[in-house]
Amino acid sequence: MTDRASVDLILVPDFSPGLEGVVAAETSISEVDGANGRLIYRGGYLIEDLAPVATFEEVAYLLWHGELPTNTELDALKHQMAACRNLTDHAQRTLESADPETNPMDILRTVVSAQGSTTLPTKPSLEEAVALTAIFPTIVAAAWRRSQRHEIVKPRSDLGHAANLLWMMDGKEPSADRTRWLELYLVLLADHGLNASTFAARVIASTGSDLCSSVVGAIGALKGPAHGGATFAARTMLDKIGSTKLAEKWLIDAHARNERFAGFGHRVYRTYDPRARILKELAADAAPELHRKADRTEEVALRILHEAHPERPNATNVDFWASVVLTGAGIPKALFTCVFATSRVAGWTAHVLESMEDLRIIRPASVWTGPEAGKQPLPLAKR
Amino acid sequence: MSAEFVPGLEGIIAARTEISLVDGANGRLVYRGYVIADLAEEMSFEEVAYLLWNGSLPKRAELDALTQELAGSRALTAPAMATLESLPADTDPMDVLRSVVSVQGVEHKLQKPTIPLAIHATASFPTILATFHRLTQGLKPVEPRADLGHAANYLYMLNGKEASPEIVQALNTYLVLLADHGMNASTFTARVIASTDSDLASCLVGAIGALKGPAHGGAPSAVMDQLEQIGTADNAEHWMREARKEKVRFMGFGHRVYRTYDPRAKILKALCQRLNPKFYELASKVEETALALLHEEHPERPQATNVEFYSAGVLQAIGLPTEYFPPTFAVSRVAGWSAHVLEQGSHNRLIRPQSEYIGPAPRKPLPLAER
Repeated sequence: MTDRASVDLILVPDFSPGLEGVVAAETSISEVDGANGRLIYRGGYLIEDLAPVATFEEVAYLLWHGELPTNTELDALKHQMAACRNLTDHAQRTLESADPETNPMDILRTVVSAQGSTTLPTKPSLEEAVALTAIFPTIVAAAWRRSQRHEIVKPRSDLGHAANLLWMMDGKEPSADRTRWLELYLVLLADHGLNASTFAARVIASTGSDLCSSVVGAIGALKGPAHGGATFAARTMLDKIGSTKLAEKWLIDAHARNERFAGFGHRVYRTYDPRARILKELAADAAPELHRKADRTEEVALRILHEAHPERPNATNVDFWASVVLTGAGIPKALFTCVFATSRVAGWTAHVLESMEDLRIIRPASVWTGPEAGKQPLPLAKR
Repeated sequence: MSAEFVPGLEGIIAARTEISLVDGANGRLVYRGYVIADLAEEMSFEEVAYLLWNGSLPKRAELDALTQELAGSRALTAPAMATLESLPADTDPMDVLRSVVSVQGVEHKLQKPTIPLAIHATASFPTILATFHRLTQGLKPVEPRADLGHAANYLYMLNGKEASPEIVQALNTYLVLLADHGMNASTFTARVIASTDSDLASCLVGAIGALKGPAHGGAPSAVMDQLEQIGTADNAEHWMREARKEKVRFMGFGHRVYRTYDPRAKILKALCQRLNPKFYELASKVEETALALLHEEHPERPQATNVEFYSAGVLQAIGLPTEYFPPTFAVSRVAGWSAHVLEQGSHNRLIRPQSEYIGPAPRKPLPLAER
């Protein structure tokens, strides 16, 4: 075995903050081809080819199995998911004991944890991936209903994943359009390489922990404004801008204050985010008024950013247009991150299952920048 | 920067830190400049937590303030109590901890991690575990006592009576020894979550999930199970030789970082000898045999005893049920986790590594009817 210190020296002459550029996994679940602006889902499908033809259930199946389902396989999955939409008694009681004002991501984190608790440790399984994915809409919708002081609506087993979420949120059947908009969003956001939440899920799985622990950790990571919270931030910025006419002035002023524009920039894409392109097109139908404002905002923001940093590929990211489409689908801003999680849980679980094939604990190194070792502690009385 | 995939990120630097140094080559663990052997039997867990959070050991007044703040944060919220009461009695205590730390840490608006929040979370871990333990025993939960230290109060809440000073001291030493350990998987998880600017509870909940894995914190109970199977010191060599033939792993041996004897194991071993002679008799024989057998197989490997091995004996002496070993590890490590979260926040950059795609090249999907 090579001496550890020399391994450090050979492999990493320097430290890359944020592990930027460091390859932390081999994966066949998805590929973010940043240079060419392509997102490829498992099996080799480009996102723009899948988006028009596949439902969320089909995409989840694809991410878990590596191939799109046949009719029979899809029916079986839909049945299985519909049967997993109810909370256990203790998860239900945990949900109902939460203060209705609680951040819905915290409710999701807690109730998923309670729902997935077991007596003995379990190994991540496909069955559990399906069950965890199926339960998200139930929790998200209940958190919303409770925040509005409305009765919780029970899930329906005859509706698809997207339609059932809208049903449980509103207590009435959604229009075909709204379902389609939400469905497309869920398809587009289901996986995206080694983003922070997916990576968190893989690190947790690497210790041999259970699938629920990975998913709960991933929810925690997604909650951060630098990750899943970005859609909320984009919509908040659009709200602050006020009207389309005011967009230019607001953005110029904000830029002068060194404020970051929410919904712009991405570490990986060097061109227009393919998901943003699809959502932008959809946004014109889904939320025409907000689309006009967003369109103007994008135009001005890209101009300002380009003037400030002509060398940077400051493209619009998925959060910007997602915030418009979700609005059109009738999702309140407070639930944006939860709905993101409702989609991404398919990817998280697929990554965990994939990592099981060759499990190795993820335990990186650190550089010591503290005081030299061997300081003598003073007794309390002499400090 | 090497773009080559390194499994497990072994040797890849993921952070700069001033919190702890695992000096594997020299078998030293260093907290903020202090070698663990100098802290272990001198300092209270509270002093070490203060050290990890603030970078220096507390003065008397600072320690008093921390002690008070911890004592004042031991009670659980009503939703946390409701969750504890609703979880089935046979739930894995690690899952209980994960769920109740999550509910205890809920917020209305996103808060940046701070030392007061770290104190608040750290204070709640013993209450959560002790309350659940009492409930599953059909006993009334015991209210925390403000006049007891962190270790003493944990034992008091578990048992409903004060533990002897010797036992309190043993638990305290365990808590000091396990409080931080470089970029281990759970700490790294906490930092990844913190890097998205998420809240402290999210980081801690993720870290608990990582610690639950048998390759990380789940090991102490495995040590106990294996010792039970071996049964007696006389049986050790026979059992272990047979076990190796079937590729059974010896629990509590080997570590990716230490190339010598784990300094924490050394201290815990001495504690075991004193407090748990029956365990020690068997365990020291098993250790001797394991090291000999492992050395025969891989003379080039530094197959040293790791911290889990003698932790088991110490925690048993303290009177903890086996299933409470991993969450008691968390009672200690939460100090380190939260210190790392605060450090990550002080010079943050989103942790988002790359992956290497090994799937098929792009192709067109078939419509459902044609599949």
